[in-house]
Amino acid sequence: MNRRTFYMFMSPSLLVMLALMVFPLLTSVWLSLQYMTFRNINEPEFVGLANYVAVFEDLKFWNAFSFTMTYIAISVPLYIFTGFLIAVLLDQVSRRIRGIYIAAFLMPFIVVPVVGTLMVKQLFESGGIIAWAFRQLIGSRFILTEQSVKSLIIIHALWAATPFPLIVFFAGLQTLPHELVEASMIDGATRLRQVRHIMIPHLRSLFVFVGLISIMDAYRVFDSVFVLTEQNPIYKAEVMMLYTFRTAMSVQRLGKANAMSVITVVLILVVLVPFLLRTYKEQTEER
Amino acid sequence: MRRIDNRYVLGIIYLILTLYAAFSVIPFFWTAIQSFKTPRQANSRVPLFIFEPTLDNYTDLWLKSIPDDPLFVTIILVAVFGLLVLVAINAKRFPLPRGYVYIAVLLVGFFVLVQIPEFIKTQTFYDYFLNTIIVTAGTICISISIGCLAGYGLARYSGIAGVIILVAALGFRSLPGMSYILPYWWFGQRSGLYDTHILLIITLVAINQPFTIWMLRSFFMNIPKEIEESAMVDGANRLTAFISVIIPIMWPGIISTALFTLLLAYSDFLLVRILTQSNWTLTVAISKYAGGEDPGHITLAAAAAVSAAVPIIIVVFIFQGQLVKGLTSGAVKG
Repeated sequence: MNRRTFYMFMSPSLLVMLALMVFPLLTSVWLSLQYMTFRNINEPEFVGLANYVAVFEDLKFWNAFSFTMTYIAISVPLYIFTGFLIAVLLDQVSRRIRGIYIAAFLMPFIVVPVVGTLMVKQLFESGGIIAWAFRQLIGSRFILTEQSVKSLIIIHALWAATPFPLIVFFAGLQTLPHELVEASMIDGATRLRQVRHIMIPHLRSLFVFVGLISIMDAYRVFDSVFVLTEQNPIYKAEVMMLYTFRTAMSVQRLGKANAMSVITVVLILVVLVPFLLRTYKEQTEER
Repeated sequence: MRRIDNRYVLGIIYLILTLYAAFSVIPFFWTAIQSFKTPRQANSRVPLFIFEPTLDNYTDLWLKSIPDDPLFVTIILVAVFGLLVLVAINAKRFPLPRGYVYIAVLLVGFFVLVQIPEFIKTQTFYDYFLNTIIVTAGTICISISIGCLAGYGLARYSGIAGVIILVAALGFRSLPGMSYILPYWWFGQRSGLYDTHILLIITLVAINQPFTIWMLRSFFMNIPKEIEESAMVDGANRLTAFISVIIPIMWPGIISTALFTLLLAYSDFLLVRILTQSNWTLTVAISKYAGGEDPGHITLAAAAAVSAAVPIIIVVFIFQGQLVKGLTSGAVKG
């Protein structure tokens, strides 16, 4: 295919992405230099870097930042490990039964995130079964506090996000070369050593792939935290996206909210740039 | 890998897998159970598993008032949709191409859904349901049409520009949605498109476009070049060769991609929450049931959650083969 035909085929999609992804991103930078509330949407007032100064001085923003980082640090390793463990175990089970397990495991992945969160929350409502079990075991009511809401957010992440690494690792295990495993069996390798020395190296590139995607997804978590905290500031469980949302839509400081979103974009480049370089290398090799 | 044959170890493996499966599905079952209880039963101190089920939550959610002869209305609705499903299943037997039959069924079904409020007094929840259908269907149609052209171009062009576009698109897709949505909100306010379906559809198309072109490209790459080349030797230009030869064999890939686009558009929350005032979709409407002091909110929220989950589960059930194919092919290539 020559270049001209390529751009002919590409143009509608490229135009949409330029107009609605590249251009908005630049607009966001421009808006971050303005003072804007719902009242002066048409005549924003230029204030230079004042919004950025305000964000850097805003303790709540840094609280949101630190909770986002805690959330990533706890939940991402947790669900990648769980996904890997379940994938390895699932690989041992006979084919006929696998289908049923996979169907069950994929349920949280398929359901709409807001709906899934609402369903998990039902378990903890005053008449819910986990709230009941909690009363039986610990003897006190399950109350929403800072700690319990934060744990709830992480439990929900484990529930909702594990299916993705699970299915990716499981598909990866199906491509494991048989000879390698057979040879190690003859050498008398134990199961644990096989996992350590054959499976994990074989899945290394998938671990990197899943890890990077999961970090980026956890970084922009919004839906589940929005539903679980009901936007209640008492729980101090705000993540960066939620705080940006409130700054824009409730407090109506749109310039400042745009400054926050520019900052979040710059911060994620730490993970995004290696991810893109890796993809670029892969694609040019494949070409 | 050779299977473990130690019976005890195998037992432990099954136990762990079953526990994890239970962890995955319990919220669904519990919510479904709660949605058939009265608020009093749902709030009881000891969880009730045996109780007299009630449909009150669902009727409260969907209907302003129950029609005078509910049985008659139910029978008519079941008959109409049952007929449509029957036609769709037997599409092969009609003298028309199958695609036309499916499109006709979808259009008639949509027309019936739009007409229902004329006969039955429905709640606003039903309007949100219709909004969801309109936004999702619009997003899928536009997204797949332009995505197919781009995906095909990317699969067949070997220049470096193709790779750069793909990687850049992936980069934009990986950024937090907030950085696009706040500017969209501003455009919407200034152009008067705020709170319209059009704004939702074009922004959802744009946000999902990187994903769509990546996925469609991987499907187009599996189609051998020789197929359209032989058509082009016969005198067709590339565009006609694409439409008449490639698209007909691409249907499985297109359906897989459409399914994922549907899941993404249906479940989007942040974008719809910011860009609408009252023309909500189901996801945004449902989040309104999350909190509240009123004891009735638990059962109503349960009914709302089940109502929003059921359409997706039905769609996934119909297309489960495509879903797994898309998941494994797209993910492992990574």
